[in-house]
Amino acid sequence: MSNRKNWILSIIGVVIVGAFLFPVYWMIITAFKTQTEIFQTPPTFFPKEFQLDSFITVIQGDVGQYFLNSVIISSLATILVLVLSVPSAYGLARFRIKGVQSMLLVYLVTQMLPATVVLTPLFIVFNNLGLLNTYIAPVLATATLGVPFSVLLLRTFFIGIPKELEEAAKIDGCGRLRAFLQVIVPISLPSIVVCGAISFFFAWGDLIFSITFNRNQDLWPLTAGIFNAVGRYGIEWNNLMAFTTISVLPVIIIFVLLQKHLVEGLVSGSVK
Amino acid sequence: MRKKFGDKIEGYIFVLPAVIFMLLLIGYPLIYNIVLSFQNVDLSNLGGGDKSFVGFDNYRNVSGEEAFGISIKNTLIYTFASVIFQVIIGFFLATFFSMKFRLAGFLRGIMMISWLIPMTVTALLFKFIMGSSDGIFNQMLLSFNIINEPIGWLSSPDVALWSVIIANIWVGIPFNMLLLSTGLSGLPQDVYESASLDGASWWQKLVHITIPLLRPVIMVVLMLGFIYTFKVFDIVYVMTGGGPINSTEVLSTLAFRYSFTDFDFSLGAAVANVLFLILFAISLVYLRMIKKDEAI
Repeated sequence: MSNRKNWILSIIGVVIVGAFLFPVYWMIITAFKTQTEIFQTPPTFFPKEFQLDSFITVIQGDVGQYFLNSVIISSLATILVLVLSVPSAYGLARFRIKGVQSMLLVYLVTQMLPATVVLTPLFIVFNNLGLLNTYIAPVLATATLGVPFSVLLLRTFFIGIPKELEEAAKIDGCGRLRAFLQVIVPISLPSIVVCGAISFFFAWGDLIFSITFNRNQDLWPLTAGIFNAVGRYGIEWNNLMAFTTISVLPVIIIFVLLQKHLVEGLVSGSVK
Repeated sequence: MRKKFGDKIEGYIFVLPAVIFMLLLIGYPLIYNIVLSFQNVDLSNLGGGDKSFVGFDNYRNVSGEEAFGISIKNTLIYTFASVIFQVIIGFFLATFFSMKFRLAGFLRGIMMISWLIPMTVTALLFKFIMGSSDGIFNQMLLSFNIINEPIGWLSSPDVALWSVIIANIWVGIPFNMLLLSTGLSGLPQDVYESASLDGASWWQKLVHITIPLLRPVIMVVLMLGFIYTFKVFDIVYVMTGGGPINSTEVLSTLAFRYSFTDFDFSLGAAVANVLFLILFAISLVYLRMIKKDEAI
């Protein structure tokens, strides 16, 4: 490709992506504007005076607690997903056991299922078990989003690992479990991290499970807090956008750190 | 062939915990939901007490509700419009970025941000952007003289559904683009080279080579899009709550309203089951389709 064409295409690309991501830009700069500047006509595309008041306001509110809850729920859900799905994917890839096809089908179907279908029954079950208004309910429920995705993605990956690796470990006197933990898991770490990140995103973005299972606001994650804040902050859009900017931050940081792996992983986990 | 590799019990120990977890948290509730829809459960008999079998009463009651018909219609419009635009826009972006210029990979990557942002945040953001008097969307359109007076994006019943659709298209574009890009990169390059030698234009190559070759991938993307869009909840719930006057009510939000605003759990379960049945039918078609591509 000629240098000139390269430049032109790059510039067109930047313009397209810039226009596409304009809403995100608008969210972030609104958070730094004053209340009067938000309603100014014509609108300003860069804050005239950069102010942090909105961030201070929402942090003095309960964003801190919501943030902590989101971190707790999403981290526990992610750990649960990995503990369950890494061995399961490995087993489905390596052992000749009965029902592999039907188990894969279970994962494929559950991945497609809408939350609304299981919401009411789970509410009743959690109610009877006394799990409503605890962290446990949303952790269990949001983990169901990550498990099928991770199993399907990791299974494809494990099938691609040569069996000789484990057999060598076995000759060295390793048991099956040790071979799995000391040989397979370390070399699969990049894929496992991708599954962890995606599961974390799934849990981080959940709204419906949290507002249904937790009426206690002290346990709400950021999404539920945002939904509630609409009523509280009304048209104080700078405060609302500071709130949403804070809640998007971890997702963007993780994405930037893992970008290349994530993009590849997303494709293979969704289509397979 | 390999010697006997590991014994079966060990295999089940690896595989089963996750399967059991999914069966308990998804499989069991799924069946419970069907049972619920034939019972009469509300707050009074939730924890115990008499849950009598009422046959198809819930389904009969639901189908009599005006909101139910509207929500089916809205869900279908929402799904088809979203998926079609996401795939078309995603396709053109995928072909653009497949030209492998210097920034292509990076730019394609950061577009994924719209997909990663929690739906709740996206919904609120578009609610802000689409505000009728102070929203940037109206202000831009007014200043370019595209419209003469502000549009009530979310307040007018005729427009609101399309506003929610626009927000959802924005969310889904990068994901569709990504899947289609992967498909594009797998196409044989020599076909294009010989077409170029024969003097085929960009458009001819698109219509006669790319689209026919990419057909299986496009079908999978369409089906996946349908399945994931049909169950929409967050965007609608946060942007409009189903209003104004039911104009954006979809099956998920209706089921949620019956169950958790009116606390008529059985009625909510019936609506959720209708949603499930439609999705299940589509999923079967999808599963059959990918099974033809490769043995899962």
